[in-house]
Amino acid sequence: MSTDAVAVIGFVVLFALMLLRVPVGMAMGLVGVSGFAYIQGGLPALKLVGQTSMRTVADYSFGVIPMFLLMGAIVSASGMSRELFRAANSVVGHLKGGLGIATIAACAGFAAISGSSVATAATFSTVAYPEMRAHRYPPAFSTGVIAAGGTLGAMFPPSTVLAVYGLITQQDIGKLFIAGILPGLLAVSMYVATISTIALLWPGYLPAGQPSSWRERIAAMREVWAPLVLFLFVIGGLYGGVFTPTEAGGMGAGGAFVLSLWRRRLTREQLLQSLLQATRTAAAIFTVLIGALLFGYFLAVTQTPQKVTMLLTGLGLGRYGVLALIMVMYLVLGCLMDALAMIILTVPIIFPVIATLGFDPIWFGVIIVMTVELGLIHPPVGMNVFVIKTVVPEVSFLTIFSGVLPFIVTDMIRLVILIAFPAIATFLPERM
Amino acid sequence: MGSSADATMPANTELPPRAERSTPQRTAPTSQAVPRRNRMDRFIDAIEWVAAIFVGIVAADIFISVLLRKLFSVSIPDSYDFGRMLLGILIFWGIAATSYRGTHITVDLVWSAARPRMKQVIDIFATLVLLGVVTVQTGTLFDKVMTTRADHVLTYDLNLPVWPFFLVAWLGDVSAVLLIAVRTFRLIVRPEIFGRGQSIKAVE
Repeated sequence: MSTDAVAVIGFVVLFALMLLRVPVGMAMGLVGVSGFAYIQGGLPALKLVGQTSMRTVADYSFGVIPMFLLMGAIVSASGMSRELFRAANSVVGHLKGGLGIATIAACAGFAAISGSSVATAATFSTVAYPEMRAHRYPPAFSTGVIAAGGTLGAMFPPSTVLAVYGLITQQDIGKLFIAGILPGLLAVSMYVATISTIALLWPGYLPAGQPSSWRERIAAMREVWAPLVLFLFVIGGLYGGVFTPTEAGGMGAGGAFVLSLWRRRLTREQLLQSLLQATRTAAAIFTVLIGALLFGYFLAVTQTPQKVTMLLTGLGLGRYGVLALIMVMYLVLGCLMDALAMIILTVPIIFPVIATLGFDPIWFGVIIVMTVELGLIHPPVGMNVFVIKTVVPEVSFLTIFSGVLPFIVTDMIRLVILIAFPAIATFLPERM
Repeated sequence: MGSSADATMPANTELPPRAERSTPQRTAPTSQAVPRRNRMDRFIDAIEWVAAIFVGIVAADIFISVLLRKLFSVSIPDSYDFGRMLLGILIFWGIAATSYRGTHITVDLVWSAARPRMKQVIDIFATLVLLGVVTVQTGTLFDKVMTTRADHVLTYDLNLPVWPFFLVAWLGDVSAVLLIAVRTFRLIVRPEIFGRGQSIKAVE
């Protein structure tokens, strides 16, 4: 059998296993090793399993993932999301649509210390949704704005998805984190513009909240010093080259712990639960990473990335045509798979195409994360929508998706802007 | 969509005080409602705690060593090697617990549309595949432990042998095999203990 046929069969089996709910990492590992064994022999394939597994889990640079996960878990447990929302609400809550804007701002602040889209959406479903409903905001808008705000988690550092992209493509994770900042701020600005436009076009749709006095505003702003200090400490240290990404994660986790203890916001039980959460998530991610590396050997022996590169570049579409094709593929895949699985499965194949076409790998990381994050809010998978539905069961899926729609349009426009102006993503990392 | 059999909220999720929660199913179960935990459940909990404690140790190791290095120009001997090897240990022990809980990253498109009986069949199939893969991995990892021992691989500063760390990590993988076997058995005999509802993955 030719290597092409082996590759095709491998992909078919892989998708079949994944659809049968075999864990993505295990399916990739199984197909990768079996395919490698078919071409290179059983013994070398078995040797790969032990070596790759141990090398992956004992790689210091991979420690960035559990460390930032722990930081996010401690930050969440210590109640910083409420403070962020209160502070943002005190400043803009009195405007029409102000609670929506406050939610976006607080999501951005929370995302900047938790790095998780799903966690951001889940957290603000409990923090912001009741407040918006109390002010008679429509359920569609309230849930839509939370779902969209949640996606900021993948853009602002420390983004788990960007870290995984960096590990797979061997790009500088610190630069990737920093590259997400300006696109993240662009996202915030565009979401705020979207909310303001909605409020302007339909004046009765988004009522104004209670105005806060300056004293209340100052008091609320004082409460957010802890997340601000933590963010500046970790990301400043990373940007200034003081810490490696793994060290930044460890310092972030340690810093979050010290700050929470100092402010008496962390009980022993909460700390233990944070450790458990970080462990569970890290184990799930590392399983996929090990599988992806094993699958990578299969891709190498079948020369799949090279063949896909030749195929795509030979289409005569030009570099932006090929990029558009890849983006469409990701949007379609977003209907079937979640963001992390999509990145881990496809990036090893797509990345050489991008490199051949001369696109900046850091910029592409931001673009790809933005694209797959769209999958978190568009049907049918829409993980953020699913999360919100779990927390707010009285709102139907249809209602949430209708509320998300304006933000999906905003995201599409933002994607085009970032493709047209790559400097938005590359400006900061080029200065590191 | 991801799976999580017992953790219905993602990691890093901050819930309001219980009294404020609107969804009845999220209220804390009463003491009568909590099922009795047998020895196996406690064993599984213990495995998860081993991994969780190692996460804390790795974080403390990095935090303290960076502070000492930056503030006092002092370095903890083998801090780097300890950090990466403890990381290996925590991940393998974590994978054991994750495999049992069913919180791996999965594609649930077919599963979520299936009827309860079919869901059980899919779960059993997926767990059997998982069991096969992790068993092979455990065998090959043991080979890696033995090779490391035979090669006398040592840590950089203190010249400590590396293989005992790998052995502890390997024991995590052995635990994974045991727990996946237990999960398979329970999925066949008592599937209700893993729940049937779709739940949320704790990754992105």
